[in-house]
Amino acid sequence: MTPSVPAVLAEIAGLAIRNTMPDVHPADRASSLGLSALLLSMAAEVWDGTAARLVEENRAVRALLARAGEVGLDFAALAAGDDADLRISSLQAGNDALRAALITLHAAAEAKGAALEADIWAELVASTERRKMAASPV
Amino acid sequence: MALEPRLATYIAARMPHASDIAVEDLSRISGGASRETYRFRLLWTQDGARQERKLILRRDPPASLIDTERRIEFEAYRAFRGSAVPVPEMLWLEEEDAVLDHPFFIAEEIAGFQASPQLLFGPPYVETLAKLGERKWTILAEIAKADPAAIGLTEVMPAVAADACWDRELSYWEGVLDEDESEPLPIIRAAIRWLRANPPPPAQKVGVVHGDYRTGNFLYDEVGGIHGILDWEMAHLGDPLEDLGWSFNPVWSFGAGMAGGLLPREQAIAIWERASGLKADPAALHWWELFNCVKGQAIWVSSARAWLDGGNREPIMVYPPWALLNAQDRAALIVMGRL
Repeated sequence: MTPSVPAVLAEIAGLAIRNTMPDVHPADRASSLGLSALLLSMAAEVWDGTAARLVEENRAVRALLARAGEVGLDFAALAAGDDADLRISSLQAGNDALRAALITLHAAAEAKGAALEADIWAELVASTERRKMAASPV
Repeated sequence: MALEPRLATYIAARMPHASDIAVEDLSRISGGASRETYRFRLLWTQDGARQERKLILRRDPPASLIDTERRIEFEAYRAFRGSAVPVPEMLWLEEEDAVLDHPFFIAEEIAGFQASPQLLFGPPYVETLAKLGERKWTILAEIAKADPAAIGLTEVMPAVAADACWDRELSYWEGVLDEDESEPLPIIRAAIRWLRANPPPPAQKVGVVHGDYRTGNFLYDEVGGIHGILDWEMAHLGDPLEDLGWSFNPVWSFGAGMAGGLLPREQAIAIWERASGLKADPAALHWWELFNCVKGQAIWVSSARAWLDGGNREPIMVYPPWALLNAQDRAALIVMGRL
């Protein structure tokens, strides 16, 4: 998730401390505490599954990039990568690089009417299922 | 210095016949990420009598999820005052930072009604959804019917040709994505490619577009009435189908599976067509619905950007990207027939 969970948690911690001060307007305190609680519950929901989700997604996108030759592109280096560093920040950086390449691959597959396009769409649909939160409106 | 005395000083300068001006019960209304919104009571003495009025202060935050012209929003409210589109009375606009640190306006509070979408799906409001939907899309039709020149809005809103509405809006929001996105968005980039390859027909009229017409941006009562259309900060001239498309964005269904959480989509279209006298060409409306998925994603991305850059570290800036980024992707997939 963006902004990252650790960065938001650190900010909420600072906000909680500020809200202990008596000069904070009660309306501002109520607003920030209510929203902070909402964000904490969302962070709790994604905490356990984020690394597994990123590893699964990175594998799926690498498999698509490995087929870039079907549309005249070469993403061999990206497709050959791995997720040896299991810190979420590292997995997310890898995910960003892979999905940026996927955009290029997708546009090329569309232009050529390649069979690869359907497989890319299938992965994109699957990616939204992986990321879906319990309270998602869609 | 606290807001109350600064606000009282500002208002006193604009009410020369009033004395003993006081601002009381100032409280922030949570939920707004584009503006800070407060309600307060203004008290003053005039002609020997103590008087009181409930007012709203809308102030720009340090950094927002959308960049808009405060004056355009203010003038849009004023333009529809007294029309079939219910809006609060605008009182004062301040565009300089000196008074309250950021630009703001002050308006009457339309008190005693609800705006929260969440309340709609429980008693007593859940019984009124069909009637509320009828009012919602009838009022949107009134906005679409309005003559922007006759109500003075062509003087403050940039002109656009009927065949250029789509490109101006798509280029603007694509530019916002280019500037603000912090992670790749393959679904939305695919949507943009499709939108550019399949442009809609020219707008049947260039009208006023509210820009954020959705459940949650109007004040409703317990019997299906609507008493105020709010949040005009993205108002502009354009294709009226843009607003209709935004009202159908699946992220505004609140999980209820209906347009705006209120009505079946086809029923809402029929209400809008009947009340506006305009046609919702299916292909054109589809284009605008997908465009609004791009626009929505640009707004959520900008909220994250404002937080990441440190311009606004309020928790409200995190909620849209966390809660809606993936939901907006899924909405785009639905509109494209892929989910």
